[in-house]
Amino acid sequence: MGFSISLTPVNILYCLAGCFFGQIVGVLPGIGAPTAIALLLPLTFSVNPTSAIIMFAGIYYGVAYGGTITSVLINVPGESSTVMTCVDGYQMALKGRAGAALSVSVIGSWIAGTISVAILMCFAPALAKFALRFGPAEFFGLAFMSFGLLTVFGADEPMKTIISTLIGLLIATIGLDVVSGMPRFAFGVPQLLGGFDFIVVICGIFGLAEVFNSIEEPEEGHLLKKKMSLRDLFLTKAEWIASRWAILRGGIIGFLIGIIPAGGITTASFLAYLAEKRISKHPERFGTGAIEGVASPEAANNAASISGFAPLLALGIPGSPTTAVMLAGFMMWGIRPGPLLFQTKPDLVWGLISSKFIGNFILLLMNIFLIPLFVMILRVPYTILMCFIVIFAAVGAFAVNNNMFDVWMMLGFGVLGYIMKKLNYPIVPLVLALVLGNLAENSLRQALTISGGSFSIFVTRPISALFILAAILAYLSPLIRWVLKGPRRPKVDVS
Amino acid sequence: MRLADLIGGAIVLVLGLAVIFFSSQMQYYSEFGPGPGFLPLWIGIGITGCAVVLILNLLRKHEKVGAFLKTRTREGFKLLIIVIATFFLLPFVGFSIGFGLFAGITMRIMGRHGWVVCGLTAVGIAIGIRYVFGHWLSIPLPAGVVGW
Repeated sequence: MGFSISLTPVNILYCLAGCFFGQIVGVLPGIGAPTAIALLLPLTFSVNPTSAIIMFAGIYYGVAYGGTITSVLINVPGESSTVMTCVDGYQMALKGRAGAALSVSVIGSWIAGTISVAILMCFAPALAKFALRFGPAEFFGLAFMSFGLLTVFGADEPMKTIISTLIGLLIATIGLDVVSGMPRFAFGVPQLLGGFDFIVVICGIFGLAEVFNSIEEPEEGHLLKKKMSLRDLFLTKAEWIASRWAILRGGIIGFLIGIIPAGGITTASFLAYLAEKRISKHPERFGTGAIEGVASPEAANNAASISGFAPLLALGIPGSPTTAVMLAGFMMWGIRPGPLLFQTKPDLVWGLISSKFIGNFILLLMNIFLIPLFVMILRVPYTILMCFIVIFAAVGAFAVNNNMFDVWMMLGFGVLGYIMKKLNYPIVPLVLALVLGNLAENSLRQALTISGGSFSIFVTRPISALFILAAILAYLSPLIRWVLKGPRRPKVDVS
Repeated sequence: MRLADLIGGAIVLVLGLAVIFFSSQMQYYSEFGPGPGFLPLWIGIGITGCAVVLILNLLRKHEKVGAFLKTRTREGFKLLIIVIATFFLLPFVGFSIGFGLFAGITMRIMGRHGWVVCGLTAVGIAIGIRYVFGHWLSIPLPAGVVGW
């Protein structure tokens, strides 16, 4: 069924456009997948949701491919998920093996991505079937656990991660209360009665804030001028032998991290690199141009970008900022992802999943034949790029309700995002809390209504109890880490 | 940076206290279960608690990590001023001309591009916005006094 939808000319075209655009976004430092999707989201009001989501999925994994090019050729990650690729990829490029580094990343991403889609096809429906047993207590537990996991994966400063999450939840409560109809934090402003539209927030916090941050800290690198021929793209036998198991291991790690709410593709690539280094017989080669150091994180980030759709589609819980933005897209089109999505919208689900096979194949071809074109894009001055980001963010915010109030609010969120980043408050928890805020609050209130106000409902139901326990452990993880290892976390040396 | 962090923590603390104050004026519990003030109150308590811990941690530490204002922060402020001025102008001159001017001025001031390049980009962007967003995507963009 899926292929009959994803193989229609229109959907192939959307998939191609998404992959191409994602690849460009990945190449350009300072603009990531969530920003790109956030800026394009308001422009897809009138597009068929299946086609639009196929395009956005193409952007998501296209970015993971594209970021590799800058990581290898200029030692600047186009995306946070390709940071680890810089370590050995650039060293390989300095040794004249840039072609092999790019090649192994493309092949690794393709193999891991394809396997990941195949597992997703079996896993996601089973997860959705399991989630049909979930009631309000379980959904609250799941959301609570997702927020808690942000503290684990989040950042160096857990307190700031929790504050960021709480601010996201606070923004989600603004507007009319759905149960009582009472306005909350609207302060008599009529435009605030409907709450902040998610698109307005993300256009500001991802789009505009990213521009301010990039101006302040431009990521500059020097493009390696060496010409590459088609022959340079071929791997030697030794390189292939060294990278084949790394690809598989990276793919498995990536898939597993991707399905964890708040796991994300950056964490997946970090863990895959560290795991590869740990099991290697020659860990001293890592950082000097080891091909496994490119193959493993690249396979992991692509696998995670695909498996990240499992919690989104089956549970309605986004695992990363990009899937959080996509969840906003689903809501914009009037679709609620979750266990019932596989029954109510099978065309969308299977069309999306099967399109990933096609997208991965398109990206494989693109990366073999179009690398010079993407390298050329690196020469576009950032001043022009930032003008486009500001324009897209403003038009996107305006298009939500056709009023200037949203444009000003978008600017406000842009400034908030900029200051938060400067003060080391992570943005991702705010976004995930904002998008899950209503689900969390409604589930909490429904559960407490069912139990007559008793919080025991969250611990007497086994699945909910498991989620709550995981969440508590996650929130306490900084304290546990402190007790076990002392007040300071050991820093990973990737230099 | 420590001072900026402390100021940031203080703002978060004030926000938390404000949330507690406003949510305490909402109904905490109703006959159907938790009321509209239930979650906001706990959010406020959470923000306040975290802010207190954060401030105490900052006061305990004395290490300096980075600087809040950097050499290129001024560039960011320049852009912010241009964006604010553009947003004020948009209802009067329309989105197409407004953003055309924005692109031209930004490229001239921040990118040091030549007048001709800036002028051509401004015209190109104005036409592009009109046709891509206004006609192709049918977004009813304000036209302003010029009507374009």
